[in-house]
Amino acid sequence: MKDCENISESMGRWLDGELSPAESESIRAHVAQCAACREAQRKLEKLQLALEGALMAESKSIEFEPFWRAVQLRIAEKRTWYEDALDWSRGLFTASRAAWAIPALIALLLAVASLESYFPGWRGGAGRNAFAAVDSIDAHGRNVALLREYDSKTTVIWLYEDQEGENETAEEPPPPGPAF
Amino acid sequence: MELSDRELVQKCQTGEMSAFEELVSRYHQKVYMVILGLLRNREDALEVAQETFFRAYRKINSFQGGSSFYTWIYRIAVNLAIDAQRRQKRNPLDFRESMDGLLESQDEVARDPFADVHDKELRQNLTNAINDLTPEHKAVIVLRTIEGLSYKDIGEILGCSEGTVMSRLHYARKKLQDKLSAFL
Amino acid sequence: MKLPKNLRRRVLLFSLLSFIVAAGRGAAQKQPQIVQVKIGTILASNKNDEFDAKLKGLENQLRVLKYRSYRLLKDESQNVPWQGSKVFEIPGGRSLMVALQEFQDNRIGLKVRLTEGQKPLLDTTVRIANRGNFILGGPPHEGGVLVLSISAVAQ
Repeated sequence: MKDCENISESMGRWLDGELSPAESESIRAHVAQCAACREAQRKLEKLQLALEGALMAESKSIEFEPFWRAVQLRIAEKRTWYEDALDWSRGLFTASRAAWAIPALIALLLAVASLESYFPGWRGGAGRNAFAAVDSIDAHGRNVALLREYDSKTTVIWLYEDQEGENETAEEPPPPGPAF
Repeated sequence: MELSDRELVQKCQTGEMSAFEELVSRYHQKVYMVILGLLRNREDALEVAQETFFRAYRKINSFQGGSSFYTWIYRIAVNLAIDAQRRQKRNPLDFRESMDGLLESQDEVARDPFADVHDKELRQNLTNAINDLTPEHKAVIVLRTIEGLSYKDIGEILGCSEGTVMSRLHYARKKLQDKLSAFL
Repeated sequence: MKLPKNLRRRVLLFSLLSFIVAAGRGAAQKQPQIVQVKIGTILASNKNDEFDAKLKGLENQLRVLKYRSYRLLKDESQNVPWQGSKVFEIPGGRSLMVALQEFQDNRIGLKVRLTEGQKPLLDTTVRIANRGNFILGGPPHEGGVLVLSISAVAQ
């Protein structure tokens, strides 16, 4: 029979159902007659429940409809060739290829970035119109949406009231979701 | 009759948008949670979750069915979340913001299947304890907790062996238990 | 892992090139002393189809918002010293504090706080291209909503 120390090592795998039937039975038999291991099992199960409760509660806050609309918007949105190239280039970074690809890419990116320093405005309007990058938003408990539109390179941070409130007056504009 | 993930993927590959919509409906909450587990805040997690499904849509024709759809979609999500983390590197990885909001939202859950979670002290300390885990350890804990994925599936998603998953999970739980010993 | 000789040469060459380019770039990138921050305050509504001619340059961006009417209420520029901040008065008893945070890769990092009286409505940190902008909108005003175009130019 395994001693308590070994049981403790395997307890997580046992509760996760990752042990063979024979190993599981051996642990179950030990735990049934060992108060210390039963206590260890209880603690691990309580931890797991706390984690599940915390993570699952949050996932309920993501409604399908607005999420799906946002995904559809991305699908409909055209992407530039270099955005596609960046996606594609992720496949390059396998261990064997990375030996040359990483320094080459660094050199290329630095060279491109340097052109802007040496010759400001060389890209014409492109630099001026580049998307704004939003690092953080805190709307102090209010509803907020972050939207980007490809053609005009527009980044929008939009504060909005609940839809019920918006419907109260005829003059109010439509809620920001459908408006975009 | 409800179609399997595999059947839906096949329909997507013939251009049926409604099949893709069904896949998004099945997995959007879980994918979001996996990403939120890895990133700092809800807005970023939502953005990365939407991008995950966009990328999946674009690559759906290259999906061969060698692995299950959920392994594939989680792998895309984890890779994008790790990329996003790198972009956030000027702000150190902090789970607190997302967890604080998350714990608040728990208070709003009327029917509570997990009465123990409402132990306030446990909740507050759970936030800090998760925050102290490395991204690798957070990733295994979240994937295991959200869907109860097997070690093999988690290994496939994270690109590591089952043994690595096992040891990371063991370490992460031990670390959480040590920090929360007074409340468990 | 032992790399073939020609591959090692290539790696060395690229690394060297990277350093040269990086060094040149470091020397060329200058920190601006002052950044001119410009806030255009616009009233967007669905009352009529009027589009203010002064907003021509922003038309493509504003059309994204799908309102029918856009009118420029106020256009204000202030010079913000490096790592300093300025406050812009916004109609409806609101104000916008803009602080400069960083300048990197020809992008300007701004910390922006919108308040209504003493009450903060929004805090955000944004990096915009030099001479670029972003839109902040939503607060209700006179039967429509306020839309702010926030842009910055390094001097």
